[in-house]
Amino acid sequence: MIFAAPAVLLALAALPLLWWLLRVTPPAPRRQIFPAIRLLAGLDPVEQEAARTPWWLLALRMLAAALVIIGLARPVFDARPALPGSGPMLLVIDDGWASAASWPRVLAAGDAALDRLARTGRPAALLGTARTDDGMAPSPSAVMPPAELRARLAVLRPKPWPVDRAAAAAALRAWKAGPGRVATGTGAAVYLGDGIDAPGAAEFAAALGAIGAVTEVRPDGADLGAERLLLAPREAGGALVAVVARVPVAGFSPPARVLAQSSDGRSLAEAVIEFPPGAASAAAPLALPPELRNELGQLVLAGTASAGAHWLLDERWRRRPVGLLAGDAIGAGTPLLGELYYLRRALNPYAELREGSLETLLARPLAVLVLADRVIPDGGEAERLERWVEQGGTLIRFAGPRLAEHPDGLLPVGLLAGDRALGGALSWSKPAHLAPFPAGSPFAGLAVPEEVSVTRQVLAEPRPDLARHAWAGLTDGTPLVTAATRGAGRIVLFHVSANADWSNLALSGLFVDMLRRLVALSAGIAAESESGPQPPALTLDGFGALGPPPVAALPLAGEAFAHTEVSPRHPPGLYGPEASRRALNLGAALGPLAASAPIAGAAEEPLGAAAPERALGPWLIAAALALFILDLLVSLGLRGVLRRGAVAAALALLLVLPPAPPGPHAAERYPSLAIHLAYVVTGDDGVDQISRAGLLGLSDYVNQRTAAVLAEPVAVAPGRDDLSLYPLLYWPILADAPLPPADALAALNDYMAHGGIILIDTRGGAGGSGEDFNPGVDAVLAGLGKALSVPPLAPLTTEHVLARAFYLLRDFPGRYVGAPVWVQRQQDRANDSVSPVIIGANDWASAWAVDAEGHNPYAVIPGGAHQRLLAYRFGVNLVMYALTGNYKGDQVHVPAILERLGQ
Amino acid sequence: MTPTPAAGPVQRSAHRAEALAARLPALLVAAQRVAATVAQGVHGRRRPGAGDAFWQFRPFLQGDPTTRIDWRQSAKADRAFVREREWATAQSVYLWRDASASMRWSSALVAEEKRARAELLLLALAALLLRGGERVRLLGAEMPALSGQAGLEHLAEALLAEPDGGSGLPPDAVVIRHSRVVLIGDFLAPLEEIAASIGRLAAVPASGHVLQVLDPAEIDLPYHGRVRFLGLEAEAETLVPRVEHVRAEYDRRLAAQIRGLGEVCTGAGFSASLHRTADSPETALLSLYMALAA
Repeated sequence: MIFAAPAVLLALAALPLLWWLLRVTPPAPRRQIFPAIRLLAGLDPVEQEAARTPWWLLALRMLAAALVIIGLARPVFDARPALPGSGPMLLVIDDGWASAASWPRVLAAGDAALDRLARTGRPAALLGTARTDDGMAPSPSAVMPPAELRARLAVLRPKPWPVDRAAAAAALRAWKAGPGRVATGTGAAVYLGDGIDAPGAAEFAAALGAIGAVTEVRPDGADLGAERLLLAPREAGGALVAVVARVPVAGFSPPARVLAQSSDGRSLAEAVIEFPPGAASAAAPLALPPELRNELGQLVLAGTASAGAHWLLDERWRRRPVGLLAGDAIGAGTPLLGELYYLRRALNPYAELREGSLETLLARPLAVLVLADRVIPDGGEAERLERWVEQGGTLIRFAGPRLAEHPDGLLPVGLLAGDRALGGALSWSKPAHLAPFPAGSPFAGLAVPEEVSVTRQVLAEPRPDLARHAWAGLTDGTPLVTAATRGAGRIVLFHVSANADWSNLALSGLFVDMLRRLVALSAGIAAESESGPQPPALTLDGFGALGPPPVAALPLAGEAFAHTEVSPRHPPGLYGPEASRRALNLGAALGPLAASAPIAGAAEEPLGAAAPERALGPWLIAAALALFILDLLVSLGLRGVLRRGAVAAALALLLVLPPAPPGPHAAERYPSLAIHLAYVVTGDDGVDQISRAGLLGLSDYVNQRTAAVLAEPVAVAPGRDDLSLYPLLYWPILADAPLPPADALAALNDYMAHGGIILIDTRGGAGGSGEDFNPGVDAVLAGLGKALSVPPLAPLTTEHVLARAFYLLRDFPGRYVGAPVWVQRQQDRANDSVSPVIIGANDWASAWAVDAEGHNPYAVIPGGAHQRLLAYRFGVNLVMYALTGNYKGDQVHVPAILERLGQ
Repeated sequence: MTPTPAAGPVQRSAHRAEALAARLPALLVAAQRVAATVAQGVHGRRRPGAGDAFWQFRPFLQGDPTTRIDWRQSAKADRAFVREREWATAQSVYLWRDASASMRWSSALVAEEKRARAELLLLALAALLLRGGERVRLLGAEMPALSGQAGLEHLAEALLAEPDGGSGLPPDAVVIRHSRVVLIGDFLAPLEEIAASIGRLAAVPASGHVLQVLDPAEIDLPYHGRVRFLGLEAEAETLVPRVEHVRAEYDRRLAAQIRGLGEVCTGAGFSASLHRTADSPETALLSLYMALAA
């Protein structure tokens, strides 16, 4: 600990004088109003003793005075030695992309340097080594006191481009030669570097060293290891491999998490990349389903806010157009029979399909070409196709009668002429089934359905390496799918036809999965490059946030993207029109990262290693102030002005009382004050949320449309809560729900026996559009039916009061429609013919549910606004039925009454 | 009798006094052989006059107002009769309480100011007197003598309306001869002034009772240490370095004041008593009752 103003401590010597002064001054007398003062006048006291201030009050005042003196001497904890050199100091900060990762600590280090400078009263200037946002070369700020420079430092932001060492060196030389600097002789500089080597580093180090005494604050191990850069991802085996570069540091550094994100920021996949000690880069594949691959917008290094931690992906990373070509162009599209019919149906949801002649298809970039029983005769066409495959195309071929007769050259394996028929009238053999996929196959892991069988196929020439080419086979060992690589591309042959003639493979879901995997395997293609200048659309800032481009950003020619370095003129980001965005990434032009050499002759300090300086003065003076307040209170108390109770109350008020925990909701405390709909708590949070949202939506609807006023819905647990306060209980049944405990069952039976209505919702039981949404619930319902005293039931018809209680309803949909709704049989006169239980499977709560924005979060099935309207109307009828009982039952008799009246 | 919610301060103080007085029988001031100047009251004079009690029937004479004819009696005979009542006289009692600033004080030991206690006692006494048919009036106030139940509220109104002030001694007001005077105050003024004031009353002649109301703090001086005492009536401040040391001397001075007041009163034909505001007002009221009924 040091004192910034040690001279003030001399004042401590005056404390004994203060002690004496305080001691001889008697305390002020208490003042007392007294009517009989006339009797007191002129009374001579027996002894005249000097009143004394109590010693502890004296000590309190002395302590406060000492605290003030020490506080004014400005003690500083953890102080670092004053900066060397004399004259103004130059604070040089690397504000390129690399510093962004540890930017708060860079700013803290800058602040600490200014703190140290402020103690000596020297001015300073600030120099950022990266080019500014408007593309200007770095230049130092004006020389100003540290307090003013602090504001400039606080608004300094890292830039999304690298530092410009050569320009910074020029600025340093200009500073050194500036007016007034030569005369002062020794200057001083503090350099907050990013520790990464860059062109011009030697020149920069020399210029910096020439200024005078240099203190270099370098990021060490962890901080340097955090300056990571995403490089261009690779395509490997159909997966995207993220590559992360860093400055090679020895020792352990935490693994990098790379997130694959969509354009709107959703994380689609994650890869964890471990760095071996000393490695400059590491890579890991991102497991990404093919349909998600099309949504990919960027790769992000999680936890690192810098432009280098983002790799923007443009259109060429996503597009996988598939070309389809059939042998028989005329009948190819015939429904159920044509060769392309099943291919189109299988691929359409996942890929962009193109059809046309081979020339038309190959004229544009294409990822996959599917040939269904099309023979390619040797010649120009075959050569073009072969060239396309060797450049990275994936050719998928299906066999058929034509290919069986005329095998051509573009096949993964040699074929025996003719085809092989399995089963049929003239054959002993039976149709063959699929064998499980071999481990190395791209189809590995797909389930093999029992029902897929193959009746005809083409046979591969038996060769020793045939098994290596087989991606799928039949149970008798003959290959079904074979593949071979040609150059950068691949040829895949299905030994059956693409329609149902030879095999029912095309009819199975396996066919879709196999084709999706094949398309995902193919390499993406580059978008048609626009050669004209592409204006910047969205650019990254220093922390890696996408935003509008800075004014200095210029359009970039289409062909220049590959070799343009990121700079203020061309910040990293997305360029070009919405439909064909091109990405310019920081990592594209930066090579491997290397640690920079330390500045020669500079005093080195680690970044953020030491604790920051802490000034004690303000705290000491605050403590002295508190003591003075205490002294004031004590003095007032001694004079009798303050009562003890008042002081205690004031002190209690000063204490910040913790806010009282929110009590139970008013509706749950006093449920009888209003009408509440209630739902049975199932224990499944999701279902309970839906129940609550549903009843909330229904309550709102009822409040809008009818005279009933419903308050917020209430969650109840039968057996624990008093059910008698609620007219209607909504009870969603879980498929895995155990039977409720005996006291809950007793409470529910009691509730039903005394006029309550329970709406039991199986949420997708048998018989409606929601069938199988909640499998196994019917068994649970049957068990409940045995345990509860449910009256004999009948299907709900339009004659029932429930269908007429408010709206006239023909059917009673919820989220699902069609399942019968069961109510008490009409003949039962118990309970005024009001059914104590209503059982259905239509998941009404989901249909009624509204979220905080007032939207309906759950789609109705099969759908339509009318279905939801009817669901609400059923809900209104239900509430009316629960509130009015069979009152509206008279409407059932209206025709009879009218008839009796002679109408 | 409980106060109604809408009652104002006048009604409240009157009701409180009534409640206090309800425990004692109606007070008939010991009748004095007084001249006919005394206004009519309940002291029967054994001769016809204004009063409530029946005295005699006499024949209707020329000049009597016809409304005075007692028709029931006249119907029994041929002549018309007039009902005459016994002439009753009332005793006037002058009441006074100290309204000076020194009365508006209470120590931390009691909740009630001396003045509030004095007014309560005055009103309670007035309630007793009015119930007994006597007439009361405030000493020094420009108001007629009050009688009947409504008189109490008028009295309370007059008390509350009266501003603070005064010297702490009864004013030099006109008092009807042979009437009774009740003085309530702290009587901390110099004894000579008190003697002069009471002597003037005794010279009318009038007699009565002096009730000295003191706060317990004024009797015990329960303070400690260094205290600066301030008066309420512009007296000079007094700094007492240690109150403990002057307490004995103060006790002596106070005892002398109380004893001197008693002597002054006895000499003027008044009785005197002391009341501490810490005690219950019933005891003081009882002492007043005894002193006046004697």
